[in-house]
Amino acid sequence: MSGAESLAPGATLNPGVSVLRKFLPLLILAALSLLSMLLAVAIGSVPIPIMDVLAVVQGEGTPLHQTLIIELRAPRALAAFAVGGLLAVAGALMQILLRNPLADPYVLGVSGGAAVGALGAMLWGMGAAVISGSAFAGALLSTFLVFGLAHGSGSWTASRLLLTGVVVASGWGAVITLMLATGPAEKLPGMLYWLMGDLTYARSPWPAVIALVLICLLVVPLGRSLNVLARGPLQAAALGVSVKPLEWSIYVVASLLTAMAVTTAGSIGFVGLVVPHMLRLLLGNDQRLILPACALGGGILLTLADTLARIMIAPEQLPVGVITALLGVPTFLYLLYRSR
Amino acid sequence: MRAAQHRHPTLSRLLPALAAVVMGLCAGPLLAKEVCVTDDADREVCLAQPAQRVLPLSPGATELAFSAGAGDQVIAGVSYSDYPPEARELPSVGSHTRLDMEKLMSMEPDLLIVWATGNPREQTDRLEELGLTLYFTEATNFEQIASNIERLSLLTGTHEAGHKEAKRFRDGIESIRQQYQDADPVPLFYQVWDEPLMTINQHHFIHEVVNLCRGDNVFADLSRRVPRIGKESVLEANPEAIVAGGMGEENRQWLEDWKGFSNLTAVQQGNLFFVPPSIIQRPTTRLLAGAENLCEHLETARERR
Amino acid sequence: MLSTRDLVIDIPERADGVPLTLSVAPGQIWGVLGPNGAGKTTLLHTLAGLRAPRSGQVLLGGKPLPQLKRREVARQLGIVFQERQDGFPATVMETALIGRHPYLSPWQMERAEDLLQARQALERLDLGHLSERQVETLSGGERQRVALATALTQNPTVWLADEPTNHLDLHHQVAVMKLLAAQAADNRAVFLCLHDLNLAARWCTHLLLLYPDGQACWGTAQSQLVPEALEKLYDQPLMSAEINGTRVFVPAD
Repeated sequence: MSGAESLAPGATLNPGVSVLRKFLPLLILAALSLLSMLLAVAIGSVPIPIMDVLAVVQGEGTPLHQTLIIELRAPRALAAFAVGGLLAVAGALMQILLRNPLADPYVLGVSGGAAVGALGAMLWGMGAAVISGSAFAGALLSTFLVFGLAHGSGSWTASRLLLTGVVVASGWGAVITLMLATGPAEKLPGMLYWLMGDLTYARSPWPAVIALVLICLLVVPLGRSLNVLARGPLQAAALGVSVKPLEWSIYVVASLLTAMAVTTAGSIGFVGLVVPHMLRLLLGNDQRLILPACALGGGILLTLADTLARIMIAPEQLPVGVITALLGVPTFLYLLYRSR
Repeated sequence: MRAAQHRHPTLSRLLPALAAVVMGLCAGPLLAKEVCVTDDADREVCLAQPAQRVLPLSPGATELAFSAGAGDQVIAGVSYSDYPPEARELPSVGSHTRLDMEKLMSMEPDLLIVWATGNPREQTDRLEELGLTLYFTEATNFEQIASNIERLSLLTGTHEAGHKEAKRFRDGIESIRQQYQDADPVPLFYQVWDEPLMTINQHHFIHEVVNLCRGDNVFADLSRRVPRIGKESVLEANPEAIVAGGMGEENRQWLEDWKGFSNLTAVQQGNLFFVPPSIIQRPTTRLLAGAENLCEHLETARERR
Repeated sequence: MLSTRDLVIDIPERADGVPLTLSVAPGQIWGVLGPNGAGKTTLLHTLAGLRAPRSGQVLLGGKPLPQLKRREVARQLGIVFQERQDGFPATVMETALIGRHPYLSPWQMERAEDLLQARQALERLDLGHLSERQVETLSGGERQRVALATALTQNPTVWLADEPTNHLDLHHQVAVMKLLAAQAADNRAVFLCLHDLNLAARWCTHLLLLYPDGQACWGTAQSQLVPEALEKLYDQPLMSAEINGTRVFVPAD
């Protein structure tokens, strides 16, 4: 799967061919992404014949079908895809930054801060726009809190950042529990749905989509530096990487991506932890390949999961976090079992 | 919201009509029928013609729609929209905490009855953006129940039936009030849930039912509407009666649990009463039956003194 | 090529000792000898610019290290660490290939010549047959050689290596020393921390003796391989003999 394969003794050293082979998985994932989006738009709790779906795509169709597809399904599918991609990329970045395979986008407390913001807004009876804004503010607050505390007065290490983040996250966890315990009963379902992650909160998919595109453009050139950083900060510095600036940029970028994702859809678990691992098992360890693959793979997983969440027990709606885990756990365990 | 009830009917009809004439529009005949009411969120809700496809988004709202005489126009409900019995035959658009937006849109309703604090705001905001007409209810006392029925019946063009039902409800409550207004107060603990133990304060409509029967809600002064409390608080308050709603129509287990506390006056007197939750825990006209049931229990308690 | 000016390495709670002013010229192989805790690794990291000195300067090609970009430093100076953090899985080939990092622009993929260089480095260290293996499945000695292959791929003009013969069997110890000697013969500078006196005596042109209290002395290998000085350095009586013109040291009692 890696470019090095083409280096078997006697093989010709043609980088053009090996680059194409290396990035072939991305083309496959991109095709699957389109397919998943199409599926998400075509399937819903109200059956719409595929011909009618195509008619709507061409700007025709009944007003009801137009509403269902253009107003409800399409923005939600886009938002699901973008959020899934953001979470998977953020998770992969956090794992490299902390050099800890158990890291996920939430390990440093970003989602905790966002949750406190969002739940607070819900307790005040605010609408979706304020909930999103408040969640984003909470995520940023948490990011800077951890940043400042981990920096402290002395030197800084990944393990110190991890410890600071985990403790701050526990603090947020306590505040969340307090809010749930003291909040009025009629607000609880909404708060729980937010905590489990739910695309109903997705107002407009565009901020998340734009963030996803930007991050893909950013991580590809950074990819090789990340490969080097994954070997440890000393080795990275020895190979010409400015470690501290790179680590802080990863931290800030991953936090912003997470903030964007939780702001759009609440704290959807599992995607950020497992999608990077799944793709590593399938595609190897080159971040230049893995990070864009995460953007697509996370998107595919969440788009499919949200489609299922909408229709599985329709008209009742499931929180999408349930489905990501139900889909992801067996897939991941199978891949792990199959690998050496 | 009282303003809506007392609004001069001809004036509200005349103003838009006048405006239409001035602007030279020819929609006069339609506008002449327009009705507007103010809902519990203090919004003006206007319909050009009576709602034909009504979709209540909570079990309580379903009952209110039927009480308003609009049962024939109700096209769907949500999970647990189970009263009156014909409501069970309706298709569902999800649960009141998470609506299936697609299903809902495909029903093409012309009036949504929203539970202001029960339905998720992010979904109702979206529905409004999609151009649907929303009427918000939040019934926290008898008068609001009656007035909601009246206002809804105006929107559904069934005001005759609606006003009649509202009057029946008001009169029923009034006659109970008169029957018990001089009765001795009975200190009472109302149990909403057992794990965690929950009760109600003075801002809950169940408190109003308790008051009507001259019960004295021992937790009336707590700050939250549905406070979580400890068993110790109940022992300290030592109510003369314990009333439980329960999670099912016949679940009296919660009351059995109190029998272990023989120091409680309520236990000594045998004043552990069950009121079916469906007639006391929903702010609908069935509260009348719930009130009668509770009042009888409290009479029993007074007789045991 | 690599030189120091009044350099005092920063070891907490240790007196400054003797400031180091030395110059590692192309073709020379320097060995640093000293007991545990003398600061050999700290010195190596300071020379690589990975650690700030307490005072003084490290100069690379005549320029103080802090004035150079890390990338420029990495094109001239390669370092083989004693401790490795193989945090994330990677194949042997991928690991060697990161040695090309300082030479590639952000958007650039590895070119054919980069792959060729990595391939040759692996062959040079007897790792050609392992190139697709995961690094974490290798033995300690094999991993040590992967680290050397990475540095070789990096193609530095100054080699810094911390105990490069650690974990290696005798055959590979010699092979690695020969490789470093070949690098020196190719007009590159080599600077090693060593535990093995005999390897130092056999291969090094210059030696730096580092004492735990910060004292130090340096010079040609010939001038430093004095039994009394070495006995004091290690606090261990030594016996020495000469075999085919090379001094050999063994511990006495």
